[in-house]
Amino acid sequence: MDRISDPSSRGKAPSTRTVASSQQSTHSASAHLRYSHSAAASSHSPARRPRKLRSQYPRGSTENHVEYILVASFDIDRGPVMEHQYPVAITGDEHMLAELMLPDQVHVRNQDWTIFFLHKDSSQEEDEAERQAKEERRARRNRRRDRAKGIIHESDDEDGVDGGLDDDDDDDDDWDDESTDSESELDQGPPLIYVLSLVNNKPDKTVKRGAVVKAMAICTRHPFLHIYKPLLLLALEEYFKAPVPETLAMLYNAVNEMDLSLMPKLNHLERTLLQASENKDLFVEKFEQMIEARIAEMSSADVIQPLDASGGPPQRPGIFRSGSKAHIEGHATYVVPRDTHEFESKVIYKGIPIPIKVPVAVMPEIVGDFSLVKLIQTFSDPHAKSPQTFPPTRTSPPTGPPPTPSSCSEVAEAVLAACALASGGILRGFTRYAFPYTDLTKVDDLLKVPGFIAGVTNPRFDEKPEWWDLLCDLRSGKMRISSKIEPAPITEGLVYFQQQNPAYASLVNLSSGGAGSGSSSSSSSSSSSSGSTNDLTGDAAFMADILRAIASRAGERAIRAKWRAWVLKFTRIAAAFEESVYGQSALYNGPDAIDPSLGSASGHGYVWVDEATKARELAGNVTRIEGWRNTRSYYSFIQDVNRQRALRPLRNLDLAHLHDRLRTQRLTPQQSREIYEAMARHVRSYDDICLLLSVAPESQAGLFYVALGLFHKDKEVRFRTADLLERIAEHEAGQHWWRALSRFEKLAYVRIKREAEAEAAAKREENGFGDD
Amino acid sequence: MGASMSISTLFGKLFGSKEVRILMLGLDAAGKTTILYKLKLNQTMTTIPTVGFNVENFTYKNIKFNMWDVGGQDKIRPLWRHYYSGTQGLVFVVDSSDHARIDEAKTELHRILNDLEMSDCLLLVFANKQDLDGAMDPQTITEKLELSKLKERPWFVQPAIAIEGEGLTEGFGWLSDNIKKTPKYSGK
Repeated sequence: MDRISDPSSRGKAPSTRTVASSQQSTHSASAHLRYSHSAAASSHSPARRPRKLRSQYPRGSTENHVEYILVASFDIDRGPVMEHQYPVAITGDEHMLAELMLPDQVHVRNQDWTIFFLHKDSSQEEDEAERQAKEERRARRNRRRDRAKGIIHESDDEDGVDGGLDDDDDDDDDWDDESTDSESELDQGPPLIYVLSLVNNKPDKTVKRGAVVKAMAICTRHPFLHIYKPLLLLALEEYFKAPVPETLAMLYNAVNEMDLSLMPKLNHLERTLLQASENKDLFVEKFEQMIEARIAEMSSADVIQPLDASGGPPQRPGIFRSGSKAHIEGHATYVVPRDTHEFESKVIYKGIPIPIKVPVAVMPEIVGDFSLVKLIQTFSDPHAKSPQTFPPTRTSPPTGPPPTPSSCSEVAEAVLAACALASGGILRGFTRYAFPYTDLTKVDDLLKVPGFIAGVTNPRFDEKPEWWDLLCDLRSGKMRISSKIEPAPITEGLVYFQQQNPAYASLVNLSSGGAGSGSSSSSSSSSSSSGSTNDLTGDAAFMADILRAIASRAGERAIRAKWRAWVLKFTRIAAAFEESVYGQSALYNGPDAIDPSLGSASGHGYVWVDEATKARELAGNVTRIEGWRNTRSYYSFIQDVNRQRALRPLRNLDLAHLHDRLRTQRLTPQQSREIYEAMARHVRSYDDICLLLSVAPESQAGLFYVALGLFHKDKEVRFRTADLLERIAEHEAGQHWWRALSRFEKLAYVRIKREAEAEAAAKREENGFGDD
Repeated sequence: MGASMSISTLFGKLFGSKEVRILMLGLDAAGKTTILYKLKLNQTMTTIPTVGFNVENFTYKNIKFNMWDVGGQDKIRPLWRHYYSGTQGLVFVVDSSDHARIDEAKTELHRILNDLEMSDCLLLVFANKQDLDGAMDPQTITEKLELSKLKERPWFVQPAIAIEGEGLTEGFGWLSDNIKKTPKYSGK
């Protein structure tokens, strides 16, 4: 209710508002002319993304939200059996599917949930068909692009797949998930099918043995499978009454009619910004744009169809913020979500609208609904003295079996959280090898998988240390390292590092016994054995920070952002390690070419205060990095880095490096001048600014260090920084960063703008007289 | 072997704190879960088919039991083998009134006992449901299950009515007695 109900008053013209807040609108506007003359060449304002917005799930797409609905039951004579599959049977072992849907021990519960993933092996013909379909889509796109030069609107029907607003305009130069995601499929195999299964155990005196146990599952390629929970609850209840395929069909049709077409598609950087931000308004403009485009599309369709009887100009449909007065009173035709992190839609099931919230920014390896906070809390208390982190370096199977009576939904959530933890939304290859919940029926298959994360409830796993490397007991909050684990090998990289850094060689922790020798436990070994006084990896400090944040009630999003930053830091340290030890790094993410004009701003990579700090931190990380270098996640990360390097804006600058230097190092005025000038000169486009914002997240210091350029001793640097900040303030996302800037820095900005304006006026006057 | 027993003197000081690991198997609807909870809670529970397993720790007559009860439907019997290692006693439960499936029970029993991991465990057979009409007596059950084929292994058939708790004390008495008497069976 307290939300602003009229979107037209918000977000539409950020520049006027930001400048108005500085109370210098006229001055800054003209100052802008003076100082951004070089920007005049660039064609578009950074405020809005230059490209046309696309829908994440276009209308009329042939892709269904849900691919299959399944029902299985526990037959009193035979065990798990499949009853129905809709619309067709999934290829593969039906009995195995039924087993997966009916988790252990539902006989002692009334209800439970389980999650599992299917790797649908597409046959060669299917692959071929898929490839052809892709090519056809591309050709069609190209045709349409040509055609679209003259045509503004296309009817939805014409193309069947996408049209008008949802035009799937695949820019190849796009720093976009379209390219990244589809390519990631190539090296990771076909996308997973995520399965959410609800199982009910209903006492029934009329049947033999007194109960009926049935499970209904939804199979989707969307990672946000948790949104279907309320629907499964209703539909399974219905199935108990009407155990026929039509009941499955009803659910299938209802969920696939869910309209997500007004959910804008964000690119990689935008998603990064959104998921790390607590701001409920971030990118709200995109939702509005989607709606505006839809309205335009609808009204252009009206031209063809006869106008309504009133004859007057058609009423423009209202756009309102969800939860606003107008929305609640039912005046709103289109609704902008109250929190841009979640797109609000609904599924009509048996005439009842079920509200659904779909996450807008989905990061890799983030599946379902889980709580990192909960997972961390579970395992933090018993280890308060030697915090253990999940290092992103698992090379071998860790399992998380909590003995009964944990429900399997609890375990599955913990596994999903563990995947997110290991990945940070950055590294890949965890969910693909994860078994959110498994029982003994799948243990043989499980053990064939190199490096898995699995959730189990059967204490039998506890008794079989040969089945796992690390066991995380959710019930006790304890972790156990398998007695059967092999010690970490001595690697080339480790030896090189010790040779190159003899002074720090002894810090490389190898010999801390069984617990420390496994790659999957290197973090705990280095943090615990080197003690709190010597936290080389920073694990202890990091965990302390996380726990402090949790204790002060930081939200799930904030904790995920911190974790993501930690994983990102690890990858950057690993790149620095490779460069220092091997001379070059496969993770190199720096400039494509050294631009001599940049001076000291041409550097790249992770930044340390000094060389000694660097050597110590690398020493602490040697075993972890070397362990990671053998993993799937490392190899897929190399691919990601290279792909992103090819797509990202500002390929000659490492903005993260520059920002880190401003943040951590003592710089000479000359050095900082070079950095500020490089930023001001190069950060121009919409994507450039997104990138800058992503290296200066709100949860850390935001624009604080960038804005320090307003205090540089060199006037030119101050002016240029002010221009950069102005561009950021006009940027769709940047406006929120600008608003969070301290008053102190904002005042400096105003002062500098005024100064610049005065100077420009003086110059104009001078020139004016000269001309005469 | 081992049809005779004397439980009277043994309880109370048998195993100290050592836990005895017992695995309870049998065809579906034989009464395994009912036996487990009759022993654990001394209550007759209405049980529904076990999906997966039940495991309970309980002290019975001063002996600590760690007892596993695994579902018996034919499709899930292949999972039994995952529970074998470390087992000191197998409790095999038979529905004595189920003439039609006694042969199937025999096959399953011998399959279990032929596994290497089960070569050292004791066998207690509960000839359950003695209260039902046409229930086979222990002698018949012994013959039908072809227990005479078992060579070195101590075994014992105990008639029982699980829902009444009848026969359970005697059966577990035999088990405790023999674990005590045979050092190689008395734990890790």
